[in-house]
Amino acid sequence: MRFTRSTIAAAALLALAACAPPGQQAGSGATATGPIKIANVNAQSGQLSSLGQWEHKGVKLAIDEANKAGGVHGRQIQLDLFDSQGDPTVGTNVARKIAAEGYVAMLGTAESAVTLAMAPILKDAKIPNITSGQSPKLAELKSPFLFLNAPTSVTFDETLAKYLVDDKGMKKIALISNNGAYGAGEHDAFLNSLKTRNVTPAADEVVTPDQKDFNANLAKIREQDPEVLFIGAEEVQSGLIAKQARELGIKAVFAGGAPVGTDVYATTAGVKNAEGTIVSSPYLSNEATPEIKEFAAKYKAAYNEEARMHVAKAYDGASILVEALKQTRGEGGQKLADAIRGVKRAGLLGTYTYDANGVGIHETKIGLVKDGKVVPEAAS
Amino acid sequence: MQVLLQTLIGGVTFGAVYALVAMGFSIVYRTMGLVNFAHGSVVMIGAYAASTFYLATRLPFAVAIVVAIAVTALIGLVIERFLRPLENKDFTLMLIGTIGFGAVLEAGAVLVWGATGHAVPSPVATGPIDVAGIRIPTYSLLVIAVAAAATGLLALFLQRTKRGAAMQAVAMDHQAATACGIHVGRSNAMAFAIGAGLAALAGSLIGPMLYVNPTMGGTLGIKGFAAAMLGGFGSMPGAIVGGLAFGLLDAFAAGNFQEYSELVTFLVFAVIVMIRPTGIFGEATVNRA
Repeated sequence: MRFTRSTIAAAALLALAACAPPGQQAGSGATATGPIKIANVNAQSGQLSSLGQWEHKGVKLAIDEANKAGGVHGRQIQLDLFDSQGDPTVGTNVARKIAAEGYVAMLGTAESAVTLAMAPILKDAKIPNITSGQSPKLAELKSPFLFLNAPTSVTFDETLAKYLVDDKGMKKIALISNNGAYGAGEHDAFLNSLKTRNVTPAADEVVTPDQKDFNANLAKIREQDPEVLFIGAEEVQSGLIAKQARELGIKAVFAGGAPVGTDVYATTAGVKNAEGTIVSSPYLSNEATPEIKEFAAKYKAAYNEEARMHVAKAYDGASILVEALKQTRGEGGQKLADAIRGVKRAGLLGTYTYDANGVGIHETKIGLVKDGKVVPEAAS
Repeated sequence: MQVLLQTLIGGVTFGAVYALVAMGFSIVYRTMGLVNFAHGSVVMIGAYAASTFYLATRLPFAVAIVVAIAVTALIGLVIERFLRPLENKDFTLMLIGTIGFGAVLEAGAVLVWGATGHAVPSPVATGPIDVAGIRIPTYSLLVIAVAAAATGLLALFLQRTKRGAAMQAVAMDHQAATACGIHVGRSNAMAFAIGAGLAALAGSLIGPMLYVNPTMGGTLGIKGFAAAMLGGFGSMPGAIVGGLAFGLLDAFAAGNFQEYSELVTFLVFAVIVMIRPTGIFGEATVNRA
């Protein structure tokens, strides 16, 4: 229903591709000359389009840099954008398109649900995919062609539980999470980490991803007077929960994964309400390390907006792909998948060492929200 | 008891907003017999207009609301003008036209404001009121008061003014109304403008409670529409009762059924509509569809 410029551009590209002689199309993946075709699939329209646009900007920055530096052994990388609309059904159609048109690799999507739907098709077509999704279900697929550019919820929440329970001795913990793909993953992973520490949550409230009024759920949590309120939801919903919790007089400290480290969360909750929120994330802020500072400056110069984790991980993923492509001299398939698995890269999110499940980052860091920005928690 | 009352507070606050959205649906429906599917998107535009103006100028929020109402009323007039040639000719096309306008407005919002959206700081700085452990956010009180005032004004307009009476007449029988010298087109335009103005009011009020982005109209539109159906489509008191009922239903389902709350809310809604297809205040007078 909605046509963005990018969908029209993608459609035009498809139309052009359709016009090409059949021989040229089928051969483009394997030929050693001409541009190397990489597909970037992300939501460019619909509810999740902001995520998709950040991801695309991060990917584009990395590929543009690689092309400027001479490409892959002299061959340029051709980056084509496909709109998944954040919809798994659309995603599977795009996956077939990519497979049919000789793309050697795919970057994206930012939605675990879409990536999960696309994975079997890409596996059959032997197209390596570096995704920005972080659902533990992605790792459970054990697809040799699927790689994550960030840790899964298991890592996020294990780090968080370790900090809260082991380091800080907080045992009265309440949970509120949504039952969407991301929220459910967070809920299960955090609950598991609590269980291994013999901690039973004081409350465990589940909401729907569309819910806006949490008075009923939060009133129940307030009765338990927890020390910590774990929030497992996307940025905006996490912010709304934090705001309404403070309005209800809940004094617990908020804790969560990457979403509660964003400015969207802080502004939605109100900077005062977000103060002190505990964040578990591999990318705490744009000032965390000299490398990240440099990247953030580069990003700002290119797009005139602040960098964020979604951008950084997309950039990391694309850089890993470029490195692997250099090793295979542009060849795709099993060879490229093996090369990606072999890449050891000190990226923006940490050091990437891929395991058999396609997970590259195995730890996160703890940060605290101060004045709406995340600062690393000083080791105590 | 505390949980129950706290749930009530949340339910009534959101219910007041749903009621405003439902009234916007109903006023267009009773006058034209048309469901304006662009209504949710107009709510979104209203939220954007009010919040952008408020954030940019720092003038009182009330001024921002008035600006938003003016902007969306204009959009309402444009939509009506585009659909006017189809009036009483092709009803289905008109319906599809409103769906199209909804998509246009959403795409337009992405172009103007970007896809990311923004949070709006609460215009009321004071903290929540504490009544025996029940916390009532001051902003909720404001929302309920403004919604009630808007409802009162609209009722006065429809019942006490000539133009309002003319709109009622068109709602009952547009041919007879034409025979009496009432300009049906103008009456329809007015209904669209008022409907859009109500949408803007709802959007402006809900902005600081939520997060303003191009797709926020979707859920609000659906819930407002369901509220209008529940109360009796086309009936003004029905829209208010339906809105509040839907807000409360939603709130209590969230507390008691957790992740199944949405399912339960709409199941209950479906059962009520099955038992009473015309809704709580369903009138036989409005049946042009």
